[in-house]
Amino acid sequence: MSFTLYNWVLSGNCYKVRLLASLLDVAYETVAVDFHPGQQHKSEAMLALNPAGTLPVLVAGDLVLTETPAMLAWIAATFDPSGRWWPTNDARAMAEVMEWLAFSSALTATSGEARLKAVLDRPIDLPKALAGAERCFRQLEQHLVERRFGGGVWLVGDHPTIADIACFPYVALSPDGGLEHDAFPAIREWLYAIRGLPGFKTMPGIHELHELREGEAVHG
Amino acid sequence: MPTEPIGLSRDLPAKRVMRTMVDGQDIAVWRSASGKIAAWANRCPHRGMRLSHGFVRGENLACLYHGWHYGAHGRCTYIPAHPELEPPATIMAQAFSVEERDGLIWVASDGTAEPRGLPGGLAPLRSLTFQTAKSEASEAFSSTPFEGNPPAVQSSDAGGIVLRVDVDSRTLNIAAALHEANQGETTAHLLVSDEATPAQKVSLSRWCEAVRRRAEAHVTTRGQENAA
Ligand code: FES
Repeated sequence: MSFTLYNWVLSGNCYKVRLLASLLDVAYETVAVDFHPGQQHKSEAMLALNPAGTLPVLVAGDLVLTETPAMLAWIAATFDPSGRWWPTNDARAMAEVMEWLAFSSALTATSGEARLKAVLDRPIDLPKALAGAERCFRQLEQHLVERRFGGGVWLVGDHPTIADIACFPYVALSPDGGLEHDAFPAIREWLYAIRGLPGFKTMPGIHELHELREGEAVHG
Repeated sequence: MPTEPIGLSRDLPAKRVMRTMVDGQDIAVWRSASGKIAAWANRCPHRGMRLSHGFVRGENLACLYHGWHYGAHGRCTYIPAHPELEPPATIMAQAFSVEERDGLIWVASDGTAEPRGLPGGLAPLRSLTFQTAKSEASEAFSSTPFEGNPPAVQSSDAGGIVLRVDVDSRTLNIAAALHEANQGETTAHLLVSDEATPAQKVSLSRWCEAVRRRAEAHVTTRGQENAA
């Protein structure tokens, strides 16, 4: 069983799928969709697949998914035999993950919007998007601060889950839209932990930890 | 000249870089692989890009943009485009004095950093940023009830406030070191008696959120009155 991802390389939501697939070492096909400037996601062929005209789209046989949290859940349930990335046999952990999957949509609608304005100059109310992003970041920071008191690193439990993957990109990319991470030390720590996961994959705007490249010539 | 508390030592582990403003100066603070801390003007001597975007390589900070390395005292140690070249000693990042004491990082915008004294026996709690001036943050720390009772103010000055709260029939000290990095934007770096349990830290962290709501609501109300 594998899948095809209709992908735009600069989309944070498409990146979530690529990142999880990479962390779980899953091979898949991609179809590049020219979101900008081509507007190809609104082409007849794409609308036939996904009437909402959004990206990404995941296709596996006759299964077509258009919501990123659903894709993450399906990939984890299909390809992670340990069941830790999407903990369906632990009611509490599963519900907590779902909380953060819903929260990830709020991040897309605020931090993600601010970035669209900055990167594609979309007609967006930037101060409103940034104020919303700030509220989300405060909520996330508070949670991560509390997790840290008990020695926790991840959003839920003692292993990364699809909740971390769903929330990561639009937090990591927020400086593009004008919200820096300086005021959020626990968020900075969490971003660092995710970037250090084995199999971590970058996208434009999200760098590798340089330790991972330590094999290159290091001066001094 | 001003020495400001710019962060908790705990929040700047080895090989990390952070950014702050002290007295209007943009500063990159970083810790080397062996644990040495440094504070430099946040401007790469090459083309002026932010050094706070750079990454730590051993005992050097590498600029993200063209990879110039800077080491002890801010001296340029390596230029990737000219690997055989010994960089001239005149290429230097401007260094500021930085000290760590009581779990806090202190940076001076001029001269030698002189950390203020804090009570002993404290451990890091968290840092959080208020969209208010320092005085308003300080006011809110002393006036926001914790579990129904206002905290007892032990000492208070322009740099921060030391409080005492009762929790689970114990008395805990809380120190808030305040830094107004930008006008109207204050970061509180909080420390608490090191015997506080994780559950007590959670309660105190939530109380900090209430303190911030109170301070920021106060500022919003005042703004509306001024506008009326
Ligand atoms: S701007 Fe820093 S190396 Fe060029």
